[in-house]
Amino acid sequence: MAPDSDSSSEVVGQRTHPLTAVVQGARWAAAASVGLVSSVFSGDGWGDLSPLLSLLIALGGGLVLGMGVGFLSWLFTRYVIDGAELRINSGVITKSSRRIPYERIQSVDIAEPLIARLFGLAELRIEMAGGKDSRTALHFLPLAGAGELRRVLLARSDGDQQADSHAPERRTVIAVVPPKRVIIGTVLSLDFAFAALGSLGLLVGAIWFGQVIVLLGGIVPLGSWLVQIVGKRVLQQWDFTLSRGEGGLRIERGLLSRTSQTIPFARVQGIAVKEPYVWRRFGWQRLEVDIAGYAASAGETDTDSSSTLLPIADGPLAAAIIAELIPGSAFESVSRTQAPRRSRLFAPIGWRYRWVGADERTFVAREGWVERTTDIVPHHKTQSVELTQGPLQRRRRLATIEVHTPQGPVDADGRNLDEQDARRIALAQLQRARTART
Amino acid sequence: MDELFNPPVGTWQRVSPQLATVRRILILVPTSVILIAGVALLILLSDLRWIGAIAVVLALALAGWGWFWAGRNQRSWGYAENDDDLLVTSGVMFKRLVAIPYGRMQFVDVEAGPLDRAFGVATVTLHTASAETAADIPGLPAAEATRLRNRLTELGEAHGAGL
Repeated sequence: MAPDSDSSSEVVGQRTHPLTAVVQGARWAAAASVGLVSSVFSGDGWGDLSPLLSLLIALGGGLVLGMGVGFLSWLFTRYVIDGAELRINSGVITKSSRRIPYERIQSVDIAEPLIARLFGLAELRIEMAGGKDSRTALHFLPLAGAGELRRVLLARSDGDQQADSHAPERRTVIAVVPPKRVIIGTVLSLDFAFAALGSLGLLVGAIWFGQVIVLLGGIVPLGSWLVQIVGKRVLQQWDFTLSRGEGGLRIERGLLSRTSQTIPFARVQGIAVKEPYVWRRFGWQRLEVDIAGYAASAGETDTDSSSTLLPIADGPLAAAIIAELIPGSAFESVSRTQAPRRSRLFAPIGWRYRWVGADERTFVAREGWVERTTDIVPHHKTQSVELTQGPLQRRRRLATIEVHTPQGPVDADGRNLDEQDARRIALAQLQRARTART
Repeated sequence: MDELFNPPVGTWQRVSPQLATVRRILILVPTSVILIAGVALLILLSDLRWIGAIAVVLALALAGWGWFWAGRNQRSWGYAENDDDLLVTSGVMFKRLVAIPYGRMQFVDVEAGPLDRAFGVATVTLHTASAETAADIPGLPAAEATRLRNRLTELGEAHGAGL
């Protein structure tokens, strides 16, 4: 992965780490056994086999099969870094070769899934803009090598072709979110409270009335929701560290599987500030960010939280980070256009909390009364502007304006505004976006 | 009320009336199948006459509504090429106006199915980095569709601003 091997490895390319096959096997085994763990508890295995035996077979079979497949795919995977692009050739039967021009790279992340982490290996994820399939993963590399490769790729995507100096990166830590804070924040959020109290209530109720069937029916969805919340908000955000480097921000997080993300300053498409009900009293905020390419691969492993910029922070820190990513935005003090009172038909309570506004640099939309969300989109990142009106809205002389951003948590919509206001804002936004681009 | 969805300058370019024809055919094919089945039931099976009657009424209503809708919807489509952005409007009940700056376009698609080709129309779709944009203009005359695609690609390159 050292760039000095460019010329010699031009054709052949390099392989990933040989232990990849073992890790792949272990992952398959884990996946195969997960489904069976529950049947061990409930006492039935496969047909006549005892549950423990079937679990062992699943584990062993998954391991052998996974290792075989992993070995083959490792054998046929090679990557090449040359002057203009990164090429990854792979495929045993169907050959595929993916070319990644450096200037198209949106960000490069390093993920250490638990099993790979035990072997000291890491996966390199390269995000490009675009719909499906815009993420390319190179698994697995030694951790240090992955870091080195990322540095080279990021520097080249910034246009620095000769970026291969081995000088260590300069980073300053901006914020460390201790696990305790993350846990407190999660406990104080409403959906966690609902899931936890619901599960508890169900448990108590079922024991009290002796209705085990009811318990099983209710506890599975509630419990898995709870596990999901804890996994996403606590385990994945464990030891959250936000630091600043030359090209952008870096996030390192995770208890079991660790992830190291980079957010280049120029690639931020928008920021969403989320303030759940209880958090507002303490002035806490959660920051989420739109990066082209990220959310498009959602549904995979842990992408949902990969848009998290800060899981929990005090107002001033959050404001400082927003100011760093979108300089010159006074998003709290923009001139606001409120939703009119006649829009209460659509949102009996929420209409009061809804407004949009814009300043020199950004378009801002606020909504929500349980969880207050403020979406901030820099003008030069505006993709398109839409004005819509349904039949009911027409009777109330309302209209909705949407400022489109790449897929992600940011959703800068002004719903049910006065129709004339909405049109004026939409046209003004086009004008501002035009000025900002030139 | 209507001026809410007017373009800021100029007037809308309307799409080809053939769009309504294509859509009417697409609606009439399934409805006529239902109609035939309904009539067959009415004539052949006296026990299931009521089902046949419902099917006939449903098919006629659907066809009538579809005929009416296709015409109205076709007339509601419009687009305008401004200096810096493309505007698209559509919808009668749910009105929509989308503005896409040329510099934000990632790529342009032209699509025409067999029926579309028979009537000489095509759909042009613009894609930006946002999945929400969804700006498609159906029912463009084939020549106009090609012209628009070339023009948009050209403008996109001229205005291109990166992500």
